[in-house]
Amino acid sequence: MAKQLPAHRGRSYKIKKNLFSNWQLYIFLLPVVSYFFIFHYIPMYGVQIAFKDYFANLGIWGSPWVGFEHFERFFSSYYFWRLLKNTLVLNLYMLVLFPLPIILALAFNELRNGAYKKWTQTLTYAPHFISVVVVVGMLVAFLDPNTGLINHLIRALGMEPIPFLTSPDWFRHIFVWSGQWQTLGWSTIIYLAALAGVNPELHEAAKVDGATRLQRIFRINIPSIMPTIVVLFILNIGNFMQIGFEKVLLMQNTLNSETSDIIQTFVYETGILQGQYSFAAAVGLFESAINIVLLITVNQIARKVSENSLW
Amino acid sequence: MKVKRLLLILLLIGFVTALSACNNDDEGGGDGGDSGGGDDATAASEDVNESGMPIVDEEQELTFFANKPAQNEDNDWNDILIWNEYRDQTNINVNWDLVSPDALEENRNLALGSGDLPDAFFLSQLTSSDLLRYGGQDVFLPLNDLIEQYAPNLTALMEEDPSIRKALTFPDGNIYSMPALIEEDFLSLRLSARPWVNEDWLDELGMEIPETTGEFYEYLKAVKELDPVGGGKTIPYGGTQIQELVQWLAGSFGVMNQGPSNMNYDLDASGEVRNFAITDEYKQMLEYINKLYEEGLIDQSIFTIEWGQFLANASDNLYGSMIFYDPIELFGEDIGSQYSSVAALEGPEGHQTYNKLSSSVWDPANLVITSENSNPAATVRWMDHFYSDEGAELYYMGVEGETFEIEDGEAVYKDHILNPEGDITFEQALAKQLTWLGSINGIIKADYFQGGETAPQSMEAAEKIEPFVPEEIWPRFTFTDEENIVLQSTGQDINNYIEEMRDKFITGDEDLANWDNYVDTLNQMGLEEVVEVHQNAYNRYTEN
Repeated sequence: MAKQLPAHRGRSYKIKKNLFSNWQLYIFLLPVVSYFFIFHYIPMYGVQIAFKDYFANLGIWGSPWVGFEHFERFFSSYYFWRLLKNTLVLNLYMLVLFPLPIILALAFNELRNGAYKKWTQTLTYAPHFISVVVVVGMLVAFLDPNTGLINHLIRALGMEPIPFLTSPDWFRHIFVWSGQWQTLGWSTIIYLAALAGVNPELHEAAKVDGATRLQRIFRINIPSIMPTIVVLFILNIGNFMQIGFEKVLLMQNTLNSETSDIIQTFVYETGILQGQYSFAAAVGLFESAINIVLLITVNQIARKVSENSLW
Repeated sequence: MKVKRLLLILLLIGFVTALSACNNDDEGGGDGGDSGGGDDATAASEDVNESGMPIVDEEQELTFFANKPAQNEDNDWNDILIWNEYRDQTNINVNWDLVSPDALEENRNLALGSGDLPDAFFLSQLTSSDLLRYGGQDVFLPLNDLIEQYAPNLTALMEEDPSIRKALTFPDGNIYSMPALIEEDFLSLRLSARPWVNEDWLDELGMEIPETTGEFYEYLKAVKELDPVGGGKTIPYGGTQIQELVQWLAGSFGVMNQGPSNMNYDLDASGEVRNFAITDEYKQMLEYINKLYEEGLIDQSIFTIEWGQFLANASDNLYGSMIFYDPIELFGEDIGSQYSSVAALEGPEGHQTYNKLSSSVWDPANLVITSENSNPAATVRWMDHFYSDEGAELYYMGVEGETFEIEDGEAVYKDHILNPEGDITFEQALAKQLTWLGSINGIIKADYFQGGETAPQSMEAAEKIEPFVPEEIWPRFTFTDEENIVLQSTGQDINNYIEEMRDKFITGDEDLANWDNYVDTLNQMGLEEVVEVHQNAYNRYTEN
């Protein structure tokens, strides 16, 4: 004990010294910390209503506990497997397309002509600024079986019009690819920034050694931005299960619900529209649980494979 | 590392204090609210005049949460002729907290869920499960005694038509709401959207107005072949939702024989409650509609079409038939006058009734009083006036001399509403002074109402349909707590499944050969239990 005491004192002394000498830095940190605390941690106490039978007049704390009743009801619901499957498949589909913006960024990076490069970039960014409601409106207008542009083309080619919006087979493709159309250009920005940081000397040396453009892309560009790719991939997984549910909701109808019914729209319907708060909270919590498991797994794998990870 | 640890400690400390703070707040607030509400209710009952106007001697403020229908977009109920007039009469000043219909369910549920309550919910379409749930939690006041004492007009109507009281009474014997009613004989309004066919095209085809499902099919087919619009653009049947067509045809196939209020439930031949979505008759109906759809006689975009697109198509005169409101009022004289109404079609088994008819209890929850209300008695009296003749006249016609005049003993809107100056429509002119568009408040009677439903074409349609109307139309049933749990879980899944499969059978996405599979699935989902719940509710309804 006697031996440890000085060391201990030394350490806390160090922390204190650190605090006092850098107090300005901690003040800078304060707004962010309080933001997270107030808006992200305090509301968490509400999660308990997933295990309660929420009565508005009793409040969150006063409502009676019911244990896992709401979870059991969800797991035994007829639509459980469909909801889970649709949510997972839709997310996987989007995840598979993760390399697209990287490819596009690499392509942009090869463009030498300044004006042309800027022009194409701006063009691909533009759809990012259209609101979801408008995008779905455009989809409905273009894909309408009677009056839609696409179906006019299909008919002109002598084929039967396709009921895109009411067909469960088409829903995922339309959802994912219209999303890509909207965000592809925007997502390239961060990779372009990373590519701009690649040391030009490497390229020059490779040129001297006689490397082709493709070789330089694969041997220099891609390895240089690998850390960015891995981090973004993990961040993407962090958003897994959180599809922009407004768009799904807007595109949903009884005929495509076989593939368009996802957990988030279900939470919205039961929670907000039907007022079953406890049940909806339980479903939402289940979704978050899957999310955490995925995030930790992917992070773990990334650390092993590439030595890049979030923590 | 050090920063992290420090953060963690800070967070934990804050978290714990916040938790305990919230706890205290909640308990304090809850208790205070409850006892306060109780005291107020008893104290305030004395501050109300038993009869006559004003209702209270000293001006009172009340806050109403209200659904503001789309037609009222540009007006502000806090300063508009009708409500200013009623405030002056009653001495009760209502502060309107208005919500658009798109956001109604969300806002209503958020208000209820957060406990941030208005004095009353007005025209807010509260469901019967909400009424029971929040009634049981003392959030909504039981109104039985208050109605008895302070609502002579509503009481008189309930005595005249006992089904009103039946529709409002919950299994626990309580009434939590005052209803919106349609005068029983005012059929035209209870029909809402009704079927129309294009008479010009019928003439061209040398056909009569269809009277059987077979003739209707022949007409649609002939329209498609004739293609009067040209280029294959003619749409034999169009609408904004397939449900209208299904409900109209239900009477030709002998299902939904108690009206549409209780989703998929009606009575079988022996008087037992059944789910008709698994009957052979229903299957036959789907086969018929499937045939129409697959042959391109129904608009192929009916499942996704938006209201605006439908109106645009109708104004281009693309439709051979539709189920909709008054065509002249909506599409103008030129196109609207081409349409002639159809009554009930005779089905293959000889069924011929018109079942798509709402109950005369249009909405049980016209007004719901919350525990926050400081003067429930006065609020009940405020509402009750709209069940009287003067009240109905005030709400639907406005103030004599300002919005209407009496001509030959009949109330008629003044010229500035009927023929407004400038570029505004009748509805827009009306919405500057009155607020009834899009919502029924109190009781609506043919004598005091001049909307699309009393337009000549619509009245004619209603007369044609009248002989085919079934004897009894159910209002929405009320359920107990336990029953509601079943309805919200299994019942909800089953309703979703039925609706999904109905649309799939109609479009042919699901082959009708898989019918048995569909019935089996429903049985496995627990259909029996849900039918039993409805049977119990029906038994209580008849015994009440």
